[in-house]
Amino acid sequence: MRFFDPHIHVTSRTTDDLAAMAAAGVRAVIEPAFWLGQPRTQAGSFVDYFASLIGWERFRASQFGIAHYCAIGLNSKEANNEALAEEVLDFLPRFALKEGVVAIGEIGFDEITKAEEKAYRAQLAFAVENDMVVMVHSPHRDKKNGIRLSIDIAAEMGLPMEKLVIDHNNEETVRDVLDSGAWAAFTIYPHTKMGSARMCAVVEQYGPERIIVDSSADWGISDPLSVPKTAKLMLERGIPQEHVELTTWGNALDAYAQSGQIDVDALLEKPVIDQRELFGENSVLRGQEPRVDAPIPN
Amino acid sequence: MSSPRDVLDALIAAHTDSRARAALEQACAEVAAGVSMTRFCSLFSMQSRSAGRGLLQPTDAERAAAQAALPGWEAELWTKLEAARVRLILARTDLAEESGRKAIDELFRFADQGELCALYRALAFLPGGERFAWQAAEGCRTNMLDVFTAVACDTPYPREHFDAVAWRQMVIKALFVGAPAWRIVGLDERLDEELARMALDLVEERRSAGREIQHELWLCLGKFGGDRALAALESELASQNIRGRRAAAYGLARAGAEKRLAELAETEPAGPVADAMRDALAGNSARTAFRALDPRLEN
Repeated sequence: MRFFDPHIHVTSRTTDDLAAMAAAGVRAVIEPAFWLGQPRTQAGSFVDYFASLIGWERFRASQFGIAHYCAIGLNSKEANNEALAEEVLDFLPRFALKEGVVAIGEIGFDEITKAEEKAYRAQLAFAVENDMVVMVHSPHRDKKNGIRLSIDIAAEMGLPMEKLVIDHNNEETVRDVLDSGAWAAFTIYPHTKMGSARMCAVVEQYGPERIIVDSSADWGISDPLSVPKTAKLMLERGIPQEHVELTTWGNALDAYAQSGQIDVDALLEKPVIDQRELFGENSVLRGQEPRVDAPIPN
Repeated sequence: MSSPRDVLDALIAAHTDSRARAALEQACAEVAAGVSMTRFCSLFSMQSRSAGRGLLQPTDAERAAAQAALPGWEAELWTKLEAARVRLILARTDLAEESGRKAIDELFRFADQGELCALYRALAFLPGGERFAWQAAEGCRTNMLDVFTAVACDTPYPREHFDAVAWRQMVIKALFVGAPAWRIVGLDERLDEELARMALDLVEERRSAGREIQHELWLCLGKFGGDRALAALESELASQNIRGRRAAAYGLARAGAEKRLAELAETEPAGPVADAMRDALAGNSARTAFRALDPRLEN
C-alpha cells in the first residue's frame, strides 16, 4: 500500500526515519510550519526555517523517493509574541505562494488568547484572498471549545469549509468538525492523544469520509510510521481496504490537491529512488554508493 | 544582432503554450510599469502556475543563436519555468540601478530550490554582473545538485566574475558532487598550476581510498600539471576503467603530450578508447569533447 502522511515535521527526523518511511510505503508528506520546541527570538529565524521547508527538507525527502510538500504559517504559540508576529506576517506572503506550498498552516489556537486570534484571522484573510487550503492546529487544553471557535472564525472570514482541515481531533471533537463540512485529521501518537486502536474505532463509527490519519512526528516522542501502522491495524480489525486507503492516502490528497500545488499525475507514477544527487562532501550520503532506480516496495 | 533577451523571447514563443505566454506577457508588462517588491516576488513565484513543465528543448539553431547573443549561454538544459522567470527579471527597467540590485537580492533571500536555479541562470544576463559575484559563490556552497549546476554550468558568469579561489573551488566541487564539469564555460581557458595541483591531490586521495577517479578530473589539468600529471594520466590509461581511459586520452592531448598519445594509440586495440585517442589526436580535445563521455546523456 501507499501512504500520504499529511502532517509530519520531517526536519526533526533522521535519514533512518526517511528510509523506514519509504520502505513502509510513505510516498508523500506535508510538513507544516510549527514551533521548534522553544520560542524563536527574531524574525530572521523564521525566514531561514521557512526557506528550509521549501528547500533543503524537500530535497532531502526526495532522495528517499518521498514527495515533500509543506504548509507555511505562523503557529499559535509564537503568535503571542506580538511584535515578532507582526514581522513574520509581513513576509509570510513571500513564502506562502511558492511551488509545493499546499496550505497555510499549521495555525489556530494554543491558549486561545487575543494575540492568537489576531494572527489566525490575518492568515485566514490571506488564505481566502489567494484561494488556499488552511491546516488548523487544535489546542491541547480546552480542545473542544478551541475547535468550535476555529471553525466559526474560519467560516466568518469566508473560508469555504472544504478548504479547512482541523487537525489533532479525538472522539469528542470529530462530530463537530464533520458536521461543519471541514476535514477531520487525527494525529496518532504512541502514548498520548490518539492511538491506533482508538483511530480504528473512529473509522468504524464514522466511516472514511473526510477523515485523515497523520503522524505529526516531530522532535518529541512520536512515530514517523504511525500512518502505515494504523493502516495495518485497521485492516486486521476488518475495516474495508477502501476505507483504509481513503483515510491514509486519498482523503489527504483530495484535501490538499485543492491547492493546485500537487502534481497528482507525477505523484501517482511508480516512485524510484535516485540517490545520485546525494553525492557530495556534505550531503546526506557519506561515501556510500548511491542507490539508483531501486523501486520502492509498495 | 539579436540581444539575449530577444533570443529568450523567441525561445519562449517557440516552445511554450499560449496560456503560458499570455500569463508571462501580462506579468512582464506589470513589472515594466513598476511594481512593489512583494508583488515582484509573488509574480516570480507564481510563474510555476502557468509556465508549463519540463525542458524548453531548443533546436540546434536556437542553441547557436543563444551562443551568438551571449557567448557561453547554453540553453539545452533550461526549463520552461526558468525561461519564464529569467524573462520576468529582464522586464525590470531598473536592473542597472541600485533598486534593481535590491530586487534581485530580495528574490534570492526568499527563493525556493527552483527559483534559485532560475536566479543563477539569470546572472549572466544582468548589467553590472560583478555586483552578484558573492551571491554566485554562495550558490556554489549549496548541497543541492541542480542549484550548483545552475551556478556552474552552461553559463559564462563564473568565467567572467569569479576570482581564482572561487573558480577553483567551483571546478573541484563539480567533480565532488557529480555536476557535468564539461559544461563549465571557461574550463579550456581558465586553467592554472594551482587548479592542476588540487586535482592531482584529489587523484591521490581517491586512489588511497580505493575509489575510481572521476573521469572529468582529466579536464582540469591542461598543460599545468607537469610530470605529476603525465604520470597520473599514464596510470589511468593503464587501468580497467574504460570511461576513465577515454577521458585520460583527451587529458594527454590537453597536456600537449600528443606524441605519447600517438604511441599509445598504435597498440590500443579497436574500441571506445582507441576512438577517443584518434579523436583527441585529430585536435578535438576541448571540454565539449567530454560530452560523449557524459553518463547522463547515454541511453
